[in-house]
Amino acid sequence: MLKIVIVEDDPIIREELALLLENEGYQAVAVTNFNNISQQIREAAPDLILLDLGLPGRDGISLCAEIRKTSRTPIIFVTSRDSAADELRALSLGGDDYITKPYNIPVLLARIRAVLRRAGGTAEPDVLEAGELALHLARGAASAGDKSVELTRNELKILAYLMGHMGQVVSRADLIEALWDSQIYIDDNTLSVNMTRLRAKLEGIGLPNIIKTRRGMGYQL
Amino acid sequence: MTLGEFLSDRLVRITIQLLCVTAAALFLRATGTQAGVLAILLLALLLVFAAVQLSDFFRQRARLRELEAVLDGLDQKYLFAECAPPPKNLYERRLFDLTRRAGRAMTGAVSDAQASQREYREYVEQWVHEIKTPITAARLICRELDGDTRRKLTGELARIEEHVERALFYARAESPERDCVIRQTDLVEIVAQAVGNHRSLLIQSGVRVETEGLERSVYTDEKWAVFILGQLLQNAARYRGEEPVVTVSARSLGKQVQLTVADNGMGIPTHELPRVFGRGFTGSNGRARGGSTGMGLYLCKKLAGFLELGLEITSEEGRGTTVTLTFPAKEAL
Repeated sequence: MLKIVIVEDDPIIREELALLLENEGYQAVAVTNFNNISQQIREAAPDLILLDLGLPGRDGISLCAEIRKTSRTPIIFVTSRDSAADELRALSLGGDDYITKPYNIPVLLARIRAVLRRAGGTAEPDVLEAGELALHLARGAASAGDKSVELTRNELKILAYLMGHMGQVVSRADLIEALWDSQIYIDDNTLSVNMTRLRAKLEGIGLPNIIKTRRGMGYQL
Repeated sequence: MTLGEFLSDRLVRITIQLLCVTAAALFLRATGTQAGVLAILLLALLLVFAAVQLSDFFRQRARLRELEAVLDGLDQKYLFAECAPPPKNLYERRLFDLTRRAGRAMTGAVSDAQASQREYREYVEQWVHEIKTPITAARLICRELDGDTRRKLTGELARIEEHVERALFYARAESPERDCVIRQTDLVEIVAQAVGNHRSLLIQSGVRVETEGLERSVYTDEKWAVFILGQLLQNAARYRGEEPVVTVSARSLGKQVQLTVADNGMGIPTHELPRVFGRGFTGSNGRARGGSTGMGLYLCKKLAGFLELGLEITSEEGRGTTVTLTFPAKEAL
């Protein structure tokens, strides 16, 4: 399990962020004592550091420089300061990414995944399984038994989201939010089209009606 | 100052002098001075008088021109008395003293006002950064709620953020040179950020976002451009119609790049169009819907001015609104 250290002075954010990351399958370690942070980080040996730049009594950027002396662990800065100058300074001192508060949770998670991927730690499993159905994320295909079918990016995302929420009813709005991406903007109609195609493809590999419609509520796998 | 103005200003003095000369001439003539001698005397006197007046005129005119040139060259005109060349005679010296005292009082008032404005701006920026922490915390807490409540609350939080963001940029617009960093930026990136910032509003409003031809780069301040575009997207979502679609497209116009945000929403009545960039102007749509601040487009216009962005709006009621941003060519900045 990948370990993420949270350096954040606001206790509520710290706790909620730790909960969020744990729900997402990471091991979260929150720093609560802001003396000798870099030593605590060294001891925790994390795969990623979420570093708040507005720490009490300490400039996050100098802290980053200190961590960088001994470690190459990826660092994502989290800050409520968003001037271009701050951003440039942070990235020039060895930060891997820069997120401003208040962040979108999906965006934060996506950035974490991206930085982890770049750093070489593969956060996600490559294959998701649900009963007979197997979803191969890397090559973008679904298979059941010896039959396999290629999926488009959106279909892949829909299926992955449903498989990540097995047995739960997932509303259309939740799906749309999950599918929204920095470059592709999904609306209700697009979702319907993608859902229809995905069902047809799944039927093709012998899994008709595996995605159930809960009228007025959403979909369920 | 013309010679005519100068002479008319001294009319009384000159008249008295001429009267005195005439009286003296009459007196001399009555006491038996020869006409020829008197004529020479008068001529000489008049020449001297005229020479004195003319020299006064030229000196004053030269002095005024000098002072005007100093004033024209000053950025802060109220510092004039401090910068002007020193006075040459007693009367001017006294006038200068008076002007300088008045100027000092003014300088004091101006720098007090500037200081309090700067402090206020700093406070607003500080406040904006602080308020982001509880908003972030609230967002994270929202995650634990069930779907519908979460979406509603997230939507309200997004509205709070929009207001906070506008307050921040309003404060920044007061001294833009402090934050503005012009760099080469990809339009794709600007659009992705602006759309991402308003995703919950756009998703909830059911707006379809289409993009076209954004693979261009422009020279601008990324954050400001994202803010401006964000305001336009918010408007498109707010004043949407049936099956709302927002198309964000770009094209090159010589060395300039034009970014167009077109929606198929309510549109703006023609007679209101010239006023939409006005501060606090809400318009009939804004009043009908409620919750309009009249600050969005005003700020856009202001920030666009600093970035030397062209900002134009066209609209047809019931059909939609199109806003065009023209990014300047690199050489123009």
